[in-house]
Amino acid sequence: MSSHSATLNDNTAWDGGKSPLGVSYGKMMMWFFLVSDALSFGGLLVAYGFMRHKYPEVWPDPSKVFTHFPGTHASIPLAYVGLMTFILILSSVTMVLAVEAGQRKDKKAVEKWMLLTIIGGLMFVGSQAWEWYNFIVGSHDGAVRTIFEDGKWIEKTIHGANLRYNEYGLPVFANFFFFITGFHGFHVFSGVVINFIIYVNVIKGTYEKRGHYEMVEKVGLYWHFVDLVWVFVFTFFYLL
Amino acid sequence: MEFNDNFPSYETMAQHSEEEGTTKRKELWKVFFILSAITIVELIIGFYPGFFERMTVSTGIPMLKIIFIGGTLAKAAYIVLSFMHLGHEVKTLRYVIIAPYVFFIIYLSFIALNEGLYSDNYKATMDKNVMEHSQIKGAETPAASTTEAHH
Repeated sequence: MSSHSATLNDNTAWDGGKSPLGVSYGKMMMWFFLVSDALSFGGLLVAYGFMRHKYPEVWPDPSKVFTHFPGTHASIPLAYVGLMTFILILSSVTMVLAVEAGQRKDKKAVEKWMLLTIIGGLMFVGSQAWEWYNFIVGSHDGAVRTIFEDGKWIEKTIHGANLRYNEYGLPVFANFFFFITGFHGFHVFSGVVINFIIYVNVIKGTYEKRGHYEMVEKVGLYWHFVDLVWVFVFTFFYLL
Repeated sequence: MEFNDNFPSYETMAQHSEEEGTTKRKELWKVFFILSAITIVELIIGFYPGFFERMTVSTGIPMLKIIFIGGTLAKAAYIVLSFMHLGHEVKTLRYVIIAPYVFFIIYLSFIALNEGLYSDNYKATMDKNVMEHSQIKGAETPAASTTEAHH
């Protein structure tokens, strides 16, 4: 940090003689966006927490709901979501390595790591689609629920979950699941799209001409934020 | 008025040499292994929660929750400070970003611990219907069995 301020000179200083925050305008705004975006996720997770503690008796146990793993019919709780978490952390590392390569102006390395990040992001979105599929289809046997249909309460076997019925317990659990992981998944998807645009720019040599790769750093901030949110979703939705 | 930024350029200041890059990469991989290790430990505890579930701290909160939330905060700190480079930014920027959340979390913890009592009372009187209709059949709810007795 002290070395940071030491490199400030007359060319890089603001009118007051130095920079109050020591970062470029674009990076600062990306940070401010992320602060506000984190508040949206914070609100959703807090709402989830409050609902969960209001209905502890009928709240589904996540480790009994998300037990599927590709290629086997055995019930393995947490393994699949663990794999998803690992994929996202790995893609976060490749992103930060792309940023690091950009700071050395090593175009080839930036390309390589950006591409790996995009692949990691796509794998994650795909995994989430598979998770949603299993949750919506539900178990083979299903569960008998009292549901409101055609103006009266009836008993019916429910398979899987949607916004109205939930095989595993309280429907609001499914609503939160779709909304929170959906909101996060859409962030990942947007991140992949933005990463791809930056990747194309890297190949075209836009940042080579500009003299710096700060755009890679800015999308990197966004991408790490997505990983950060998943760390919290993983804990509060699946582990606790 | 057009916003014209004529004080370049913090962008090029972040650039570094080949040797600095080598040490930096080493540090990044180290952080990756720490993050993976925490996740794996959390998963193992998640598979076999029994021991930590029974072990509670003095306030009655299971050790399990404290371990999971502590692990999450540790991971979050590594991601923000290392991957997002916030640990190496100037102090002001660091606090501008982190301080709002510290207050936010203190406030929410207060609300949850204090108003949670109200939520308990509310549940007993108002939400019988929700509870009844969400229960899996076969596991009789107290509410359902009392209606049976009336008939």
